Amino acid sequence: MRVVVADDAVILREGLARLLTETGFEVVGLAGDADELLDQVERYKPDVAIVDIRMPPTHTDEGLRAAKTIRERHPEVGILVLSQHVHAGYAIELLTAGTLGVGYLLKERVSDLTELAASVRRVGSGGSVLDPVVVSQLVDRRRVDDPLAGLTAREREVLALMAEGRSNRAIAERLFVTEHTIEKHVKNIFETLRLASSPDDHRRVLAVVTFLGAR
Amino acid sequence: MVGVAGLLAGIAAVWVASFGSFRPPLIPGTPVALLVGWSFIASGLASWRTRPENWLGPAMVGTGFLWFASLLQQAQGPVLFTIGEIFQISYLAGFLYVVLSFPSGRLWGALDRALVLVTVGLVTVVQLAWMVFAQTRAFICDTCAANLLEITDNAVVAHAVLQFQRTAGLAVMIATIGLLAARLLRASRPQRRAAIPVLGAGLVAAIVLFISITAAVLNAPSQLNLTRIAGYALAVVPVAVLVAFAQRRLARGVVAGLVVELGAPASALDLREALSRALGDPSLTLGYWFAAESRFVDSAGQPVDLPGPDAERQSTVVERDGQPIAVLIHDPALEHNAGLVDSVCAAAGLTLENERLQAELRARLAELQASRARLIEATEAERRRIERDLHDGTQQRLVSIAMSLGLLESRLPADTGQARPLVIQTREALTAALAELRELTQGIHPTILTERGLPAALDELCRRASLPATVHAVVDGRLPDRIESAAYFFVSEGLANAAKHSYATQVRVTASSASGSLTVTVHDDGIGGASAQGGTGLRGLADRVEALGGRFSLSSPPGQGTDLSAEFPCG
Repeated sequence: MRVVVADDAVILREGLARLLTETGFEVVGLAGDADELLDQVERYKPDVAIVDIRMPPTHTDEGLRAAKTIRERHPEVGILVLSQHVHAGYAIELLTAGTLGVGYLLKERVSDLTELAASVRRVGSGGSVLDPVVVSQLVDRRRVDDPLAGLTAREREVLALMAEGRSNRAIAERLFVTEHTIEKHVKNIFETLRLASSPDDHRRVLAVVTFLGAR
Repeated sequence: MVGVAGLLAGIAAVWVASFGSFRPPLIPGTPVALLVGWSFIASGLASWRTRPENWLGPAMVGTGFLWFASLLQQAQGPVLFTIGEIFQISYLAGFLYVVLSFPSGRLWGALDRALVLVTVGLVTVVQLAWMVFAQTRAFICDTCAANLLEITDNAVVAHAVLQFQRTAGLAVMIATIGLLAARLLRASRPQRRAAIPVLGAGLVAAIVLFISITAAVLNAPSQLNLTRIAGYALAVVPVAVLVAFAQRRLARGVVAGLVVELGAPASALDLREALSRALGDPSLTLGYWFAAESRFVDSAGQPVDLPGPDAERQSTVVERDGQPIAVLIHDPALEHNAGLVDSVCAAAGLTLENERLQAELRARLAELQASRARLIEATEAERRRIERDLHDGTQQRLVSIAMSLGLLESRLPADTGQARPLVIQTREALTAALAELRELTQGIHPTILTERGLPAALDELCRRASLPATVHAVVDGRLPDRIESAAYFFVSEGLANAAKHSYATQVRVTASSASGSLTVTVHDDGIGGASAQGGTGLRGLADRVEALGGRFSLSSPPGQGTDLSAEFPCG
């Protein structure tokens, strides 16, 4: 899988490129700011662009804006945004704006190589990735007449893993149960929350995240 | 003494003149002759007494005597007649000096000085030169006494001298008319008020004199009538001086009025207005001494600039016990009436001191307000800097260490036994440290506020709140950083407060901007009874709002929830 990495800090950019090479990715380009990133995406047409949210010149949300531009110009390129802050609003913006292959992870996830590689692959193959911390903020949010109150603890767990963008099989592996059990949980969850179920993983994430973000 | 002398001189001159009916009278009749001389002497004396340093008084008295001396040309005896002829037109020099030097008694311009000097020459040297050659019968009248100064009877020379004298006189009158007219046009309002009677009378007299000399040069038959009218015009000048004098007296009455006005309740009094009325200068500016900064400020506490030495305005500093209390910035014309300015300042002294204290208080308040706002802004800038430093420095270093640990873990051989769990443990500890650091930096300065503005930041804040919280934010565009920041922390504190003390089930947050202000509210449905007294977080909240010139309000009746509201000016 071909990857472009954009981060204004050399130490993180180089480090990330090394990690990815180590785990079998082909790093085709390195960018220090949004313009460079757009250039390289244009030139190399990578499978995934890994983008730091905060880059020059304003050091605010350039990465996010660049991601949206890539979305418009090259919808086939997967985008994984890295952030040092938990901004659920940004994540929802990103997920709901795109159709396929987007992710929002906290920067420290780069320390877990296995998870990182899995996330990049998922984004590269059109799936979604949402950081567990962001998901837990969405799921655990205090609400009046909480619709999630109708879910069991296990179902909440499954809901969170779904929101992270995991497939039924991945959820089943993680919870040490059969895929069939997970399917039953998912069905229950969708009924309780009155959501239209969808076989497509990405649409499923979208439905769940939109539901959680709206309340 | 001088007055008595003047009185007698007039009577004597008229008495002498009345016997000389051999020649047609040059003067406009006895009453007018007396009026001209006496009014010059009387108003000269009055002016002399009140302002001894001013040359105007003596000059007017002298002009009066010269006038009477000129009446002697009507005398029968050759000695008196000759004296009268010598002084025939000498009073014109006095008249010119008075008109041109009013009200200061000084001739400021080179042209003024030249005109007076030339006139003095014409009425003395040239007059005497003429008399040396002029025979009475040929040049004055058939029945007049002999000219004792006549040395040779030379009609040609005498005629030439006379024509020269008259022509030069015409030139002087033209210049005088121009000068006076220009002065009238250029005068500022207070100047004009003070000078218009004298300048006006002088102008009229100069015009009449100009016409009468022209008639003499042309030898017109109406010469005598014109000379009479010129006499009337001359008499007006000292009367005008008296009028100007009376105006000043009236101004003193104004001071009395001012004192009464100052007795009114302070709230109903506009001191600047009252002083500008009393001084007749609508452009008056009033400044109060602000000792802490050694400068003058206006009643709102804003700095007042003093005019420079060449400026078109003048300043008079009012002192009390050697300390400046206020400054009046006024029209330079008032300088000629220093007495009035002094009396007005003296009358207003106590009120000025009062107003000064209030202005000083307001200036201090304005300064305090500004310094509080500066402190808040400095704190805000510092928070941003710290957040940035943590993000660019510490956080990145820790992330890069986490990467290295990840890499290390992947490269560990399968049979390392206890090494792998240790690396995983370290990695997890590092992740926890990064999470804590993230919370910390967000608390120092929320990046989303800078990036997305207040509504997005409030949304994020409520998402993370430990009570169910909803936001309704309608804000037009971006607001100044300090306001956004203050509003954000206001809501943040409000939410924390509600979570800690209110036992509420939900919180409602609103933010709305309209016409240059931002209103933020935090409402909970808890037990109420909150108070900004007694060292709670609410006091600090109120302080921060007020430091930015905002208004804080708290309504928390027991059992009915708590309403916090802050209104920030953001123009």
